[in-house]
Amino acid sequence: MKKYVILMIMFAVISSLNSYSILDRINGNAVNNLDARTLSMGSASVVGGKNLFDTLINPANLSNLESKFGFALSGKYLMNTDNRSLPMYNSFDGYSGDGTYVSNVNIFADYAFGAFYQKTLSVIDLGVAVLHHPFVNFDSDYFEQVRNNQNSDDNSYPPIIAKNFILGSGEIQATSFVMSIKVYELASFGFQFSKLTGDSELENKIIWSDEALNIIPTLENTINYSDRNFEAFSTQFGADIQILNRISMGFSYSPKIEFDVTGSIFNGVDTLGVDSTVFVYTKYDTLGIPTDSLTFADYTIPTKFRVGLNYQPRNIMRTNFNLDLEIVKWSDANPLFDDVINYYLGVEHYLKHSIPIRVGFNYTTEFCLSEHESFTFASKLVSPSFSVGTGFEMLDKFTLNFGIELTNRQYEMLDLFMDSFYDYDELWANPQYLNFEDRGWENPDTVNETFLNLQTSIIYKW
Amino acid sequence: MKKILILLFCVFVVTLSASKIDINRADLNEIKLLPITEQQAEDIYEYRYYISFFKSIYDLKNIESIDQKTLNELKSLIIVSHYDDRDASAERRDEIYYLIERLGSNEGLQEGMSDVWEDFLMTPRNINKLIFSEILNFPNVSAIDVTSILKRLARKDTISNYRDLRYTPGISYYGAKNLGKYVYFKEKNSNSKYTEYDNKYYSTARKLYKRPSPIGEVSCTPYVWVGKLTDYGLINSEKRFFFDYQIKYKDSPYADDAKEMYQESMIRYGSNADSDSPTEKKQSYWGFFNMESDRAEVMNKFRFRFKNEVKAGLLFDSEKGDDFANFSFADSKYFVGYENDSNLSGRNNFKIYTGNYRATFGEGLVMENTDYYSPRKTGYGFNKRITGIIGDVSRTQEYSLKGLALDLKTDKFNAVFFLSNDDKDAVIYDSNQNGKIDDDDDMLSYITLTSRFSNEELKEAEIFFNSYSGNTNNVSIAPRLDAFNEQIIGGHFEYSPIIGTHVGFTGYEAIYDRDFVVPNGDELKELLIYDYYYYDKWKTTDNEVAAMYFTKSDTLFDRNYRRVVGFDWRTVINNTSFQGEYAEMEVRGKNLKIGDDPKALLISSYTQFDNMYLLSMYRDYDLDFDNPYQRSFAESQRYDDTVFEKLKYGLRNTLLGDIYNNSAQPSAEKGFYFEMRYQFHRMWTLTKAYLDIWERKSDARKGIRFEGKLEFKPIHQLRFKLRHKQQIKRYNDDLNRSKSQADEIELKCLTYLSNFDKIQLGYIYTRVSQPPYLSILSDPAQPDGADMAQANTLSNGDMLYVDYTHNFNKNLKIIGSFSVWYADGASFWDFEDVELDFEQTDKGFKSWFNIHSRISNNLYLSLKYKYKQFKTREIEFRDYNEIPEEGEYYFRTVERKENIIRLQLDWKF
Repeated sequence: MKKYVILMIMFAVISSLNSYSILDRINGNAVNNLDARTLSMGSASVVGGKNLFDTLINPANLSNLESKFGFALSGKYLMNTDNRSLPMYNSFDGYSGDGTYVSNVNIFADYAFGAFYQKTLSVIDLGVAVLHHPFVNFDSDYFEQVRNNQNSDDNSYPPIIAKNFILGSGEIQATSFVMSIKVYELASFGFQFSKLTGDSELENKIIWSDEALNIIPTLENTINYSDRNFEAFSTQFGADIQILNRISMGFSYSPKIEFDVTGSIFNGVDTLGVDSTVFVYTKYDTLGIPTDSLTFADYTIPTKFRVGLNYQPRNIMRTNFNLDLEIVKWSDANPLFDDVINYYLGVEHYLKHSIPIRVGFNYTTEFCLSEHESFTFASKLVSPSFSVGTGFEMLDKFTLNFGIELTNRQYEMLDLFMDSFYDYDELWANPQYLNFEDRGWENPDTVNETFLNLQTSIIYKW
Repeated sequence: MKKILILLFCVFVVTLSASKIDINRADLNEIKLLPITEQQAEDIYEYRYYISFFKSIYDLKNIESIDQKTLNELKSLIIVSHYDDRDASAERRDEIYYLIERLGSNEGLQEGMSDVWEDFLMTPRNINKLIFSEILNFPNVSAIDVTSILKRLARKDTISNYRDLRYTPGISYYGAKNLGKYVYFKEKNSNSKYTEYDNKYYSTARKLYKRPSPIGEVSCTPYVWVGKLTDYGLINSEKRFFFDYQIKYKDSPYADDAKEMYQESMIRYGSNADSDSPTEKKQSYWGFFNMESDRAEVMNKFRFRFKNEVKAGLLFDSEKGDDFANFSFADSKYFVGYENDSNLSGRNNFKIYTGNYRATFGEGLVMENTDYYSPRKTGYGFNKRITGIIGDVSRTQEYSLKGLALDLKTDKFNAVFFLSNDDKDAVIYDSNQNGKIDDDDDMLSYITLTSRFSNEELKEAEIFFNSYSGNTNNVSIAPRLDAFNEQIIGGHFEYSPIIGTHVGFTGYEAIYDRDFVVPNGDELKELLIYDYYYYDKWKTTDNEVAAMYFTKSDTLFDRNYRRVVGFDWRTVINNTSFQGEYAEMEVRGKNLKIGDDPKALLISSYTQFDNMYLLSMYRDYDLDFDNPYQRSFAESQRYDDTVFEKLKYGLRNTLLGDIYNNSAQPSAEKGFYFEMRYQFHRMWTLTKAYLDIWERKSDARKGIRFEGKLEFKPIHQLRFKLRHKQQIKRYNDDLNRSKSQADEIELKCLTYLSNFDKIQLGYIYTRVSQPPYLSILSDPAQPDGADMAQANTLSNGDMLYVDYTHNFNKNLKIIGSFSVWYADGASFWDFEDVELDFEQTDKGFKSWFNIHSRISNNLYLSLKYKYKQFKTREIEFRDYNEIPEEGEYYFRTVERKENIIRLQLDWKF
């Protein structure tokens, strides 16, 4: 028992450290999956999900839990490595590669818990569950030093002029009620209803260093701050059907969720150079007339339709093969986005002594907005992931699962803190040779992000 | 009385057995009748349903809830009948799984041939009915092996089983061993009692599986006969459809050559301009098309087959940057074909294919349509060619043929006729000088593009570059997709007067709806190179560019075709086969006259003994033998060392680099090549040694290359391998002004553990001595000149690696690898699990692991993850070897990281 207490304490401690990708500081990171087994199977479990948190992917999975009563706890630890590079040129070749100028590594966590109960009535199995879990996470953390060009010849670091920060925090939490019904051991139907509440805070700031203030005492720090509160209800429907002895198919449907958003913006002393476009997007036609706009006050989670199959072949190892396709109607969230298909695939083999080995792959697509010469456009970002995991049972009733997922993506993005903001001749040596022009889309940053996602879940079942 | 007693005994036995429960066929309720708990009954049922049928009562011990005591109690109450639900094809697939996996790992080099071999593995063919070329097309089978077999069959003998095949006089051990997997020996006889029983058995087995019947029936498991399935052709008798689906996802970073090409600036200010190069990422195709985020290639391939007779295939291939699943029929490949072995007038084989097909004849001098160049493609061993016609759903694009092909083979004759009509990509230039690249302009050459941007996208980029402020480089030459229509009519005729000997004729004519025009002299330089400042870099090797084929010239001719014809031959004398091919491409000569046109010749001999083989080869290809479908043996690919490789920064359009990057044609060269394998002691084998001495035609550069691999095997589980490679280019340069030499030594230790696990540890040392860059000397007469590189560049590098393969069981395998290298300008080829990786960076390490999972008998998954971290200083090499000045970017060491995922899923039934 002592072990479990330590584990739970560990969840609680680590959950205080939170952050995801800086890219998603406005739209947040949707927390799609919270089960370690499912994570290690590529998050493919619209059918064949065996744990309580799989009901968040398809509520009909509740009927697969094969126990009368139980509860589950899940912890998610995420390490995000964000490397930003700027293009390098030489007089001979022109563009000759990228040099990384800032690297942020953040380790964060999240957790969820829930309980379920099932009752058999003749040929019908009824199930209910309650879960509390993160739905969208707004945490982000970015730190960048601006150093001047002094003393670099003396093999020492030049002094810091300013520190740039982007600090995002907040989360939309969901309290979900799930119910399912299973008929004749053949078909399950599920329904989920969630209350979504949360808030987010985002702070962009440039803090001048003491060295800079000593030279120009009139410099003032820049702080942009916004906060938002979110409230909405969501629903989800799903079904699992055994179509052949070894093959089951399932689907789940999540209508789009439109949040009621309230909030405020605080602009600091000087917003010049800070990426303020993140709050208001406007799409223009060829004549420069605004045709569509989206403000921070709108927040929509798009419609999702997911279909999948579970195949249980005869194999010398007990085997599960899951394959999901998910259609995400991104156009619900923004007319500039296209609808996409995400792919999820996972395999589970049970080795000797019922030790599972799981591997998975998924390929998801999302969008981000950018502006160029007052014209807003959407960029598609793909994120392929590779995952592995295992688990074991303790005392017959406890099941502990582990999963690791690696995701890497690369894209171009504008400089987060533009150069012209630091154009004070007094702060630099030989300023006549320096060029403080902002880098636009002709010279964007290359961003390489790696996510290492470690998930642990404990299920206790009677 | 005796009979009555026997009868009573039988009744007793039947009654006794009838009272027992057959746990291989009892349903769950029947199992629950046994004196065990409900959970145990469910576990038994689940084991049978999800894990395996029971081979014996003792398999129950594999179930966790069944202890020894329960087993003892159950022993007298249950029986285990031999039972399995797999059909003959499933049995066969199970048997050859490891071979299919091996073929799959070589697929990258074999462009669809592994599909053909896999089909024959699944549905073997009767060796007693096959003709020469059909047997020769199997992997690792030599012409001497085939001649041995056919000579035996010609004496009215038949080969009745593998052992019989092995004792065929003259056949090699490896030939027989490989062939044995692709053929069967005895035709099914419909009157055979054996076969009747077998057929009955199969139908019974399936019936019982679907409707579990009461206990008491006795059946026989198919795998009792599995060893004989191929002998009797039972698999071949299965009249059923076969379906294969394969998806391959691969994160594939651009190769160094391609990346350099895309990143070169298209904005040039000219040598006299005051301005520096612009510093804008969009100045290159890389920035313009935002290729930073391009990552995955996805291939979806479908293949259908009815026996070995009707075949069809469909391929959708998404390039890097495309959508994950691009099911666009416009770029898809497909075929439908019919082929049949029949006994009309002796052995013969007939094929007809429509859609995309591959055509390969002789030594590949006239026709072998693939997009990929393979160095030293001898046609033997792992470099095998499948001659004749096969359906094509490989990833080739530019040189795929689309149309109709007929192939009729008999004992003595082979006639092939093929037609193709397809649009091809080409390099177009503004030949009419109207300021734009349009439909009226001429072509320079075929081009296989790394990324096939649409014509609209390419035009958009060109408009951007042309309108760039101050740019002096107007884009007047560029690749275009489907730029011209190519109609090919061709054929091959072969006559074999005696077994092992044939003479053949191959020819094709390609008709174009657009002209290939290659300007002369300075006009060609002007067309390709944007600034006269770089004209000096046009070297003698660029003769290969000047020798490109053209259909129209002001003074010589104006035609719309290209014609290539050739003769090939082979004869087998004892344990040696002699073969060769001679080809000519019509340029200025007369139609039927031999020797007055650009030509190519390849002759070889192959001698085999039980413990060795020796291959000798001579090739001689003319510089202006520019046959786009030539894929014969060569040390280098065409356009090696030309401006397309070395002067990407000076080309009018950097995309012309793909003419070299993806060149599939061999370079014009002549030389001798010798290769051998020799097991000279039970423990010692020279696994492969070759020596190539050749001359490049374009600049008469002479080269020599040797590689030897020696294996020491003190015991079966332990092997030491030593490899040494040495390559010297311009070895006859007495002044040592341009000689380059590369040496590579590898020592590897490999240990086989239990359960086919293995671990190998290796070390590679490489040393490269490069010449000074003569082409950049300002004045060779003044060695102290500012740009003079004074001495040879010497690079040393080494690499250490360890690989481990662990088989959890026959259905799950993990391979892991770690390697670390310090290259410092040298480079390594690393043969990973299923692909080849090239390390040419300063120093770095990588680690990968690949999980091979056999999900079910017909579903396979391979999932690989690789992490690579390396430092590169490649940029400094591009600045004349000058010592960089302080603060200059190009001396910077850059650290890079790669995360690569590779997925392959195969579904076969």
